[in-house]
Amino acid sequence: MNTKMIMLHLTMSFNVFLQVERDFEREYDKLQKLEDQTKKLHKDMKKSTEADIAMSKAAVKISGDLLSNPLCEQDQAFLESMTALDTAMKRMDSFNQEKVNQISKTVIDPLKKYSSVFPSLNMAVKRREQALQDYKRLQSKVEKYEEKEKTGPIMVKLHQAREELRPVREDFESKNKQLLDEMPKFYHSRIDYFQPSFEALIRAQVVYFTEMHNIFSELTDQIDQAGLTDEQRERENEAKLNELRALSIVADD
Amino acid sequence: MESPVSAESAPPTPTPAPRNHTPSPSPRAEAQELRMEEKERTANTEEDPIYLSLLSKVSVLVDEPAEDASERAEERAEREAQRQLLATEELVYTERNYLRLLQVCTCTIRSNLQNLQPQLPNLDSMFLYIEEVIDVSGRLLSLLDQKQLTPHDPLFLETLCDAFLSLSTDMESAYKEYLANYNTVTALENSYKQKDALWTEIVKVIKSSEPEVNATSLSFFLVMPVQRIARYPLLLQTIMKHTEPGHPAYSLLEQTAHTAIALNCRINEYKRFREVADKYKKTETLTIRDKMNRLNSHSIAKKTARLSQFIKHETGIAPKLVDEEFDALEGFFYLLENGITVLHENVETYLDHLQRFLSCRPEEFDLDMDGEKPAICYKEIITALRQWILPTFEKRMRTLVHKPICSLRELLAGPRNLISKRLDKLLDYELIEEKPSLSYDEQAVANTYKTINTLLLNELPQFNGLALTLLWGMLGAFSCLHKDLAKDMEQLFQGFTQQLPHGSLEPNAFWEWAECSLLEGARRLESLCWNVKDQLNAPIVQPLSPGSQKRLKVLTDKHGSGKIYQLMGHVVGTRDLDLSLNRGELVAIISEMDTRGDKRRWLVDAGGPRGYVPSSKLVRYHQVTMDPPPSPHLITTMDHAGGVRRHSCTPGVRPPSYTPDTPQPRLLRSMSMTVPCLQVLAGYDFMARSSHEVSLRAGEPIRVLEPHDKKGSCDWSLVEVRGQRGYVPSNYLTVMPTSTTPTAPYR
Repeated sequence: MNTKMIMLHLTMSFNVFLQVERDFEREYDKLQKLEDQTKKLHKDMKKSTEADIAMSKAAVKISGDLLSNPLCEQDQAFLESMTALDTAMKRMDSFNQEKVNQISKTVIDPLKKYSSVFPSLNMAVKRREQALQDYKRLQSKVEKYEEKEKTGPIMVKLHQAREELRPVREDFESKNKQLLDEMPKFYHSRIDYFQPSFEALIRAQVVYFTEMHNIFSELTDQIDQAGLTDEQRERENEAKLNELRALSIVADD
Repeated sequence: MESPVSAESAPPTPTPAPRNHTPSPSPRAEAQELRMEEKERTANTEEDPIYLSLLSKVSVLVDEPAEDASERAEERAEREAQRQLLATEELVYTERNYLRLLQVCTCTIRSNLQNLQPQLPNLDSMFLYIEEVIDVSGRLLSLLDQKQLTPHDPLFLETLCDAFLSLSTDMESAYKEYLANYNTVTALENSYKQKDALWTEIVKVIKSSEPEVNATSLSFFLVMPVQRIARYPLLLQTIMKHTEPGHPAYSLLEQTAHTAIALNCRINEYKRFREVADKYKKTETLTIRDKMNRLNSHSIAKKTARLSQFIKHETGIAPKLVDEEFDALEGFFYLLENGITVLHENVETYLDHLQRFLSCRPEEFDLDMDGEKPAICYKEIITALRQWILPTFEKRMRTLVHKPICSLRELLAGPRNLISKRLDKLLDYELIEEKPSLSYDEQAVANTYKTINTLLLNELPQFNGLALTLLWGMLGAFSCLHKDLAKDMEQLFQGFTQQLPHGSLEPNAFWEWAECSLLEGARRLESLCWNVKDQLNAPIVQPLSPGSQKRLKVLTDKHGSGKIYQLMGHVVGTRDLDLSLNRGELVAIISEMDTRGDKRRWLVDAGGPRGYVPSSKLVRYHQVTMDPPPSPHLITTMDHAGGVRRHSCTPGVRPPSYTPDTPQPRLLRSMSMTVPCLQVLAGYDFMARSSHEVSLRAGEPIRVLEPHDKKGSCDWSLVEVRGQRGYVPSNYLTVMPTSTTPTAPYR
């Protein structure tokens, strides 16, 4: 091969390499961002679910502790109110648990599964990278021999190098093609994969809050004074507290 | 007969002497006090010339010798009438003057004092309750003036008594607060007196505001209500003394006088209660040094006596003074205290979790799905929930539930301290209760106990009731807040559910669809994983050079095919006896650990040289034409964790799960051809020995599902063959190019 051809070959190879790399990087970048988001979403959803459960349990404790206080037995009406409150809280907690279970099944677990693909994918990308390095190395070796004089030993070495190169090149090309195929497909698959999750999230919340509305509307009718604004409630509280403070036995600092 | 007005209407002497005094019962003392007060009084009333002339007339009357009996009786009656008139007028006159001076003090003096520089500290607290007193006094006078009667009028007395009686409740509440607070006033004035320059200024202001009075302190004015309320009984009794029992207004007058006395008793009782309560209800934060300073022989003796009495109670030696009413109140109070404290803590825990929930921001990670309806809806819903619906809920919780419960909890301290103090005093009291006569100190002890006891009996029911009502209200608010939260969310959802693709599905249908979709998605993921692992992770196949082939033969002959491994990467020996080898070289394993037991260094034979290489770079090298390698031990751990494993042995119920950290498949696809089209076959026959395993026939094609078992050991592989799934030893598997035919025929 004369020099011109060599140069052309080299430039072409270089350009090919470059283009190949750019395409690949673009796709891989998107996947890496997706991996990051999936992990963060998974973590956040777990944290918020835990807080949700804790909140519900705390509400149950509020009513439970009050009901178990013998104070309630002193006044029948108060006892009825506290019992109603406790029942309501327990019911809400069980609905909350249901909601959390649904979310676990339809959102958190699928998120985890989705995340688990990434390590294999990353490994595959690494392997491709290795293959690329091998390919580059052997390619340059072949080109080195191709530049030299065509003596007998050189020709043998050239032939050997070419034989070595071929499977490596084919391997790289197949890996590359496969990844370039799979990566966008995988990236796109997230839409179909996660659509049910998002819908399920919303649906579970709707169910929960509908129940909450029913339960607490009933309860409020039973134990709360109707039609009070927040200012009125605040004023009433202040008034009672002031009445208490006016007592001599109360220290008002 | 003692005249209520002394003839010595001395010129006003400027001697203010603020005095608290309680009305004493004996008439003699009364009159004495009255006289003394006259002396002390400084130009309150008797500057009036008319009054002075009246006085002189009275003294003239007194000094005249008696004449006939009838004349005397007539004169006496007239004298009495005059005196009654005088007394009545005195009451009204003094009231007017009293009111005027109070008003001067509150308006003029106060505003002048406020202008003083530097500002007087706490000036306002001197005038705290005086407005009510002024108000009540003003009303009394206006009631009298309304009728437009003069004291000469026979109906005047009746009007006066009616007015007084009608105002007695208001008077009591106004004066009781004023008197209970009066100590603060004197203390404050004393603090002003400490600073000479300041005090001179103050006195100047006072004198200039009301020059006629010539007062030299604020308390000159501020003590007047204290004196006034105590004077009413005296003034009224004086009128009564000079009134005929037959007078139409006599009984009313009597009632009024009694009321005035009762007023004073109650006001003083209240003052005493307050003093005792103030002394004991504060939670004292004493340092240890303070506590030690307080110890002296007296206090130690007191506490010892209390303790012994307490022990006597507990052991039944001495009978306990059981007061059921008090015990009930006390019991209720303790229950209340417990309930409030626990509620307070629970509410704080609740709010903590709410904050944690609000700190999560899942809506920010939309996985680049911002073109998709469900993701958009979700994002908007959660943003609304997190940014304004829940924060509103939290704010209302804090205002309507948390703040009141905090305040209420703080208020528990006072009664609690008093109750425990009462017990202490009770123990003291019991020790001295039986004594026939009590010393002054003992009397004080008894009184303190009784005061605290009465105070608590009176006020605990109120406290308990109010606190309970407050609690109830808070819980009602709690419920209402939840209702409002749910309503807000429902309204929010209404806007979105139509936009969702499956929003209109019935619940059962929806969840079924969701589960199916997710299952489908999981399956697709799995196949993707499989593709990636299978195709892409296969290390490339390299032809064996002649040198390598020779070495392979040598090593196999020497060590057996089971021990042949291939280097996956270059190794450079760093220590003694380490080998440096190239990638792809074949070696035979002599020992899977070094002399120190380190399993990461294996002793290998490199076809001549022997030495150590890192085991992580070695991979089994499989060949076809060998004896079956020994199958690894059956691992009984496959029995546990029934779920996934069991299922993966039966055909197609649940797909196996992929773990992210699968170790490198140790199966190296061996090559005899350059074309990398390979297939996995069974190299040897294998008999399944349990339900987890599957039998193999040498040469039949199989599909590898997982190249390791549950524990990650690569000795076993999960395969599918003839439609069955199970485990087989990995070294029984072989990889052949697809173009070659199997060496052994199928049976």
